[in-house]
Amino acid sequence: MNFPKATVNEIHDKLEGTPLGSLFDLLSDFSIHYVWEKRWFFISLAVGAVMVLGPLPEGLTEEGMIVLAMSVMATIMFITAPIPLPGVALLIVLGQIFLLGIDSSTVAKTLWNDSVLFILGSLMLAVAVVKQKLDRRIAWLIVRMTGTRTSRVCFGISAVSGLLASFIGEHTVAAMMLPVGITLVTLTSDDPRKVRNLAAVLLFSIAYGASVAGIGTPSGGARNAIMIGYWREFFYDPSNPETAKYIIDYVRWMTFAYPMFLIQLPFVTLILFFTFKPEYRDLSRAVVKLRHQVESEGAMNRADWVSIFLFFLVLLGWIFVSDDVGMGTIAVLGATTFLVAGLVKWEDINSGVNWGVVLLYGAAISLGIEMKDTGAAKWVAESFLSMLSPLGANEGFGLWAAVSVLTTAVTNTMSNGAAVAVLGPVVLNMADVAGESPVIIGFITAVSSAFAYLTVVGTPACTIVYASGYLKTTDFLAVGWKMALTSTTIMLLAAWLYWPLLGV
Amino acid sequence: MAEATTHPTAIAEIRKNRFRILVCVDGSDESYRGLRYAARLGAGEDADIILLYVRPTDQGLRTGGLQVRVARENMLNWGLELPGITYLKKGRDMLIETEEQAVLWDQQSAHTDVDGDPLGDNKIEYRNENGKSIVLKLKTASSVAGGIIDQYDLGPYNLIILGSTEGQGSFVKSLWDPAVAEKVAVHAPCSVCISRDLETGHGKLLCTDGSDRAMDMVVKASDLAKRDGSKISVMSVAIDENSQFEAQSSVDKAAALLQSRGIVPSTAFIKMGNPVEEIIKAGADYSFIVLGDTGKTGLKRFFMGSVAFKVMEHANNSVMVIR
Repeated sequence: MNFPKATVNEIHDKLEGTPLGSLFDLLSDFSIHYVWEKRWFFISLAVGAVMVLGPLPEGLTEEGMIVLAMSVMATIMFITAPIPLPGVALLIVLGQIFLLGIDSSTVAKTLWNDSVLFILGSLMLAVAVVKQKLDRRIAWLIVRMTGTRTSRVCFGISAVSGLLASFIGEHTVAAMMLPVGITLVTLTSDDPRKVRNLAAVLLFSIAYGASVAGIGTPSGGARNAIMIGYWREFFYDPSNPETAKYIIDYVRWMTFAYPMFLIQLPFVTLILFFTFKPEYRDLSRAVVKLRHQVESEGAMNRADWVSIFLFFLVLLGWIFVSDDVGMGTIAVLGATTFLVAGLVKWEDINSGVNWGVVLLYGAAISLGIEMKDTGAAKWVAESFLSMLSPLGANEGFGLWAAVSVLTTAVTNTMSNGAAVAVLGPVVLNMADVAGESPVIIGFITAVSSAFAYLTVVGTPACTIVYASGYLKTTDFLAVGWKMALTSTTIMLLAAWLYWPLLGV
Repeated sequence: MAEATTHPTAIAEIRKNRFRILVCVDGSDESYRGLRYAARLGAGEDADIILLYVRPTDQGLRTGGLQVRVARENMLNWGLELPGITYLKKGRDMLIETEEQAVLWDQQSAHTDVDGDPLGDNKIEYRNENGKSIVLKLKTASSVAGGIIDQYDLGPYNLIILGSTEGQGSFVKSLWDPAVAEKVAVHAPCSVCISRDLETGHGKLLCTDGSDRAMDMVVKASDLAKRDGSKISVMSVAIDENSQFEAQSSVDKAAALLQSRGIVPSTAFIKMGNPVEEIIKAGADYSFIVLGDTGKTGLKRFFMGSVAFKVMEHANNSVMVIR
């Protein structure tokens, strides 16, 4: 609608000075700030509109285009966060109902599956484990084994953080071990300037130790559970026994990924020492004080033993029965037992878990499945491959490297679980089209998503240690690229030499 | 002290007559340089200094759904201090160095829950017998800039001082931390000072265009100069040769106004060319570049920008936008 300019001016003159006029002024002031704050929201809407209303590319259905547009919009919003992220999840749900015309109950069903249940359960479990206050004893155990040399303490911290994180997730371990790192720093010197590099080495030992371990087992991170869910959803056909190899169980995942974690571990300490060169080569002063602190806690009481027992029970459950009842079930069961045993308060769980994230993963997975069902994922995969073929990266090693680089780039800008949820359908279709093993490509995606060493927001462990205030954003860049390079090399070597031996 | 002044309007009445400085601390050296300047500005009995640290609220997705507060509570359990508290304490200790008796001042603390976050907003106020106060405030807000602006509403304040730490790792930073200083400067209703490699003692460069607003700015800047005792120079930029005369008269007008307020400008000069470039070039020799806000609001400020904001964005030293 176009009003003649004269009319607009006339209206403006008439309103000038009236209450209605000031109301309009107020609104225009308000809306411009609003639009600016939410600019990425409107940009993504515009991008979506252009995609849907523009000419349909060959080989893509109309539904496929809508789903693709929704994915692109969701990705833009994941990265720029113009609205609260759980709001993006709600938009995805609404988009499926209104734009694709899917029945709301059907959409609701796709929001929940075992992967989402796993995310929910493991977050509750994480709070429960952190609240047990076993961190002091773990710290003491570490220094008793390693002695007081800084390098050995750091390696000990990475190793123990890693071992724990490989089973219960990096965010749990980072939250639990952060005070250990800071205590060792503050007990060494009160002046943060004198221990800047020591602080960096200790805190990164926790964060990177936990990050490299998160790939170790399916329960190490949400991304692993999501990838397992995608394999099953996309390739498993109950009527065809051939496809049973696409059901990756707990132990099989570990045989693929655990050796990679173990190989990366020494490199973490090496790279950190090489980059930061800590001021103190020996931490005996801090260790002695830490011993006093732990001794003042007294002996382990019954609650401590019960929580350790429950913890191991959950681990055993994941390893031995999760293939029958689902990993999510075990996680929820574990959290419930902690509640029943009275070891954690519901209030603590309620305030420690960001429930919106569960919703977000549910919506992202639901969209991912829609990508596959409408053929949009396949179309994107084919377009990608035709783009990559001039570079010789449309098959074999080149494709692996391309997928790894793509995942690393995406995961550095958003959380790794979301990265896998968004990229999974596309890369698995790429593998299918290129005739590569979806299992290897899937592993490359899930594992590469842990390589977000460069930014504070890349991995949960990094974000948590950054909250301590001892690190600068530039520290992450300084050491992160070395880590990313090392990890990528190790992973590609594993994909080339090791994984084929496992028969994929 | 507190018993007589708990009523909001009474507090507002008292605050109206005081010179209140809000210093935003984030642990960086630059923010402490800003604080040192604030200590000098606020040395008078009628000035209050409020130290503010804003902690962004948790964004669960970045930590995989586990709130950072779980880690923070764990740190508190170990008897460790959270970063915001250490930064504020360091700031307080710096102020005590200049005001020895501040340790003996009357002290009171207040705590407000925010969104059920037990760490919430915390405030410690130190007040001497003349009513001069130093406040340490730890605030939780969805964004740092938003928190600083919100704090103004609890104010009011005469000046907000914050450190600009852009330039280092700027690409990644600008992606995730859209320049807090710029955002505050655009939205804040009071004068804003952005400290950038701040080194006091080189005086201020006042940039005027001869408008009434610019004259208001000169008045306010002269008040500030009386507080911090700095020297003032005046400049104006002519866009082309035709407007040289106009620029010269703007400078003369400002210089005369300064003199009438008892301040003798050390130099007064005009330059010709692009205002933004010339101001940045000439301003490099001074501690501060002082500019008036163009007075555009909302839509206009957003689309056209202004000399003040462009200078603020691109200058290599500290900039003060006077409102």
